[in-house]
Amino acid sequence: MISLWGQTASKWPLPTLLCAGFISVLAVYAQARPVSYTGGWTFIEESDRRSTSALYHYTLAPQWSIGLRAETDRDADFALISAHPFFLAKRWFGRDHQANLYLHGGVGIATGTNGNALGDEIAAYAGVMADWETRSLFASYRNRYLDAGHFGDGFMQAIRGGFAPYVGDTGDLHTWLMLEVDHRPEDEEAVTVTPLIRLFKGPLLFEAGYNLNVHQPLINFTYRF
Amino acid sequence: MKTLIAVATQSLLLLAMSAQAQDHSQHTDHGTVDHGAMDHSQHADHGPMDDHASMDHSGHHEGSHDHMGQDHADDDAPGVNSEWALITHTQEIDEALARGGEPVVADVLGVVCDFCALAMNKIFSKREEVAAVYVDLDTKALNLVLVPGAQLTDEVIADLAVQAGYRVAAIRRGAEALGTAT
Repeated sequence: MISLWGQTASKWPLPTLLCAGFISVLAVYAQARPVSYTGGWTFIEESDRRSTSALYHYTLAPQWSIGLRAETDRDADFALISAHPFFLAKRWFGRDHQANLYLHGGVGIATGTNGNALGDEIAAYAGVMADWETRSLFASYRNRYLDAGHFGDGFMQAIRGGFAPYVGDTGDLHTWLMLEVDHRPEDEEAVTVTPLIRLFKGPLLFEAGYNLNVHQPLINFTYRF
Repeated sequence: MKTLIAVATQSLLLLAMSAQAQDHSQHTDHGTVDHGAMDHSQHADHGPMDDHASMDHSGHHEGSHDHMGQDHADDDAPGVNSEWALITHTQEIDEALARGGEPVVADVLGVVCDFCALAMNKIFSKREEVAAVYVDLDTKALNLVLVPGAQLTDEVIADLAVQAGYRVAAIRRGAEALGTAT
């Protein structure tokens, strides 16, 4: 099987994946929250050095959301439409901070794009996300393992840290300066660095960054209804 | 596919570990408020603020709010706030108070961003008992003014906060929420 990163999946044996998962737990970290208030809808667009995705999810309960995700992998030339549930496994509350641990996964259909003649294939993925946040500091970790059948498989993980140069109140424009380091073990550039700015106001979150290693933009957008 | 199954298995293990580690804060039938730790001794006024219209609001300003000198001391212990947040005055809050609604201030844990505020605004503004709602990130408090004569118990407020994804640490009402209690 050809991996999404050009090599075989055997380079990522079970112990390595288990370690990555447990590191993610220990890293107590995160991302734009994938579980909202009960009954809330959220739209999330993400575009990084490799793929672009759109997720529209609905929060069924304080710990569960389910979404429909569309994703295109520009390197491996396939698109994936999947159901994508999130489970908030644990939320730590503090007067000045919040931390979350999420489990997520999905199953869908992968289809070749850009002349990729491979037929449709069932694809599945799973991963862990964690975050820790105060009003001026932020840290997060996420990972995902994707198996897209004959389109390949692969693992990625990313860690992010950031700070707010000022502390805004409710409804203000909140600004964050962040640095993301992502690791895609089988890519030619396995580790890359992306500085980014996050702008956050009310229900709208926007992020813009630039990958310094592969010279690709990062554009993320979240709207919470 | 074996690796995917391994990741899924790992996730289930984490899930089980997490479930064991969960406290009971998110059991909606118990509420997330640490009710036993709450101090109700100063809930002197649970009734509507009938005389609120006669109060002096000259210091309030439209489109903004006044935190009335809150201390933001770090304190994670539910119900143990040495300096309690008083109600935050916005135009909507003041108008609802002027109509005689009961003020309620709930200290909420984990409120760090506008998404937190949005979630609680959405959940509480759907309630017919609520005339005005404002989440103040500075005081980390949910500010409510109830419709005159309406009731919203501490347990219901705590449960609604859970639906929004957060946990209530303490609740104050009436004169205590306004800072006029003697």
